[in-house]
Amino acid sequence: MSDLKQISIHAEGDAGGDPKSEGLFTRVFDELKAFCRSRSLFMLHYCTGCGAIELPPAMTSRFDMERLGIQPMVTPRQADILLVTGYVSIKTLKRIILTYEQMGGPKYVIGICSCTVNGGMYWQSYATAKVLNEYLPVDLYIAGCMPRPEAVITGMRQLMENIRTGKADSWKDYYRRYDHYLGNQQQLFGERWQTPTDVIGEADHYGLAGPETIGPHTALLQQHQVPLQPLEMRLGSRQERKP
Amino acid sequence: MSRQSLAPQLEFLLQEIEGIRIHRKGPRRVRVDLAAETLPALLELLKGRAGYVHLSAITCVDWMEQEEFELVYHLWSYETRVLVMAHIRLPRDPGVYLSVYDLFKPAAFFERDIHEMFGLYFEGSPDMGKFILTEWEGPPPMRKDFDGEAWVMNHFNWQAYHPDWLKEIEAQGGGITTRPEDVRR
Repeated sequence: MSDLKQISIHAEGDAGGDPKSEGLFTRVFDELKAFCRSRSLFMLHYCTGCGAIELPPAMTSRFDMERLGIQPMVTPRQADILLVTGYVSIKTLKRIILTYEQMGGPKYVIGICSCTVNGGMYWQSYATAKVLNEYLPVDLYIAGCMPRPEAVITGMRQLMENIRTGKADSWKDYYRRYDHYLGNQQQLFGERWQTPTDVIGEADHYGLAGPETIGPHTALLQQHQVPLQPLEMRLGSRQERKP
Repeated sequence: MSRQSLAPQLEFLLQEIEGIRIHRKGPRRVRVDLAAETLPALLELLKGRAGYVHLSAITCVDWMEQEEFELVYHLWSYETRVLVMAHIRLPRDPGVYLSVYDLFKPAAFFERDIHEMFGLYFEGSPDMGKFILTEWEGPPPMRKDFDGEAWVMNHFNWQAYHPDWLKEIEAQGGGITTRPEDVRR
């Protein structure tokens, strides 16, 4: 288990201000809240690759993730952790981003396997996205091909520790630097890429909208953004496709 | 009719096609090389008179130096229990061939896949639209002249992964012996 030093989180402290300036009760309450949050995590495992095979032993009786308070969850809207286990093809990345944006904050992303770090053994592949944290804010990488359940558990414990001490706040980074992430997504998916989630509106809602939330890429998004509608089902449909 | 008596009959049947070359690869495997124009006749013959109802795959090979595509039709009969592999060669340019969808419905699936991966167009196939690579805008990626590595270098960033514990192992003579930069050269 190792978290990459290169992940640069441009966070400038909490939006709530300096905790030391607040009262003792607030601080104790915040610490309690962070502790409770770190002890009850619902995990959505997006099993893209071979790393998924290490999760059943990590979750079941041998290593027993549940003793740490981590349980699998079936829907993104109720999940706290998004676990990306293995290589991410460009097509899958779209779905991962859609899933991630549906999750409610605070939310955490863990990249398991070397493939999420830099493509791993698929570094030559034209269809595999290489660096996951260019498109999503990744809290923690668990490198290995594949990491054993011990490593997965160690990574989870590290994430819990980061949540307890308030270090795991990269989900705020997605709102603060949305333009950066959107730009990288547009590079892969084309300029017409949009998600059904109003990320800028959410950033305003959380009070996290900063100078880098809006930029040239979000301007491009607003030009062609169409009102919310279900995604087009393309596989198997024989209707005319727009070029 | 026993299986033993059917296998010679198959060979007899195949002789009806003009300019065909038959290679017995094994007791249950027959390779057949023929001209592209005669392939529909062969498929019709096999389906109609030898019970070859199962087209298990169409594969494509790109022979870039010879400017040709090779198509291999894998056919299986549950009666004779002999696999027939029909090989044809097509010019790489313009890369157009006839669909066999009217004979074998699953051909639509294989032909769409080959069109996506190699750019070979099948006339008469029901759908030649995007199939698996719905996000792909580049050239057909399985062609030999597509340089996937150069594509990756131009379109993706590289992230080095060299943690401290790996450096310690490398100091003792272990670790990764071939770095990605060396592979690329």
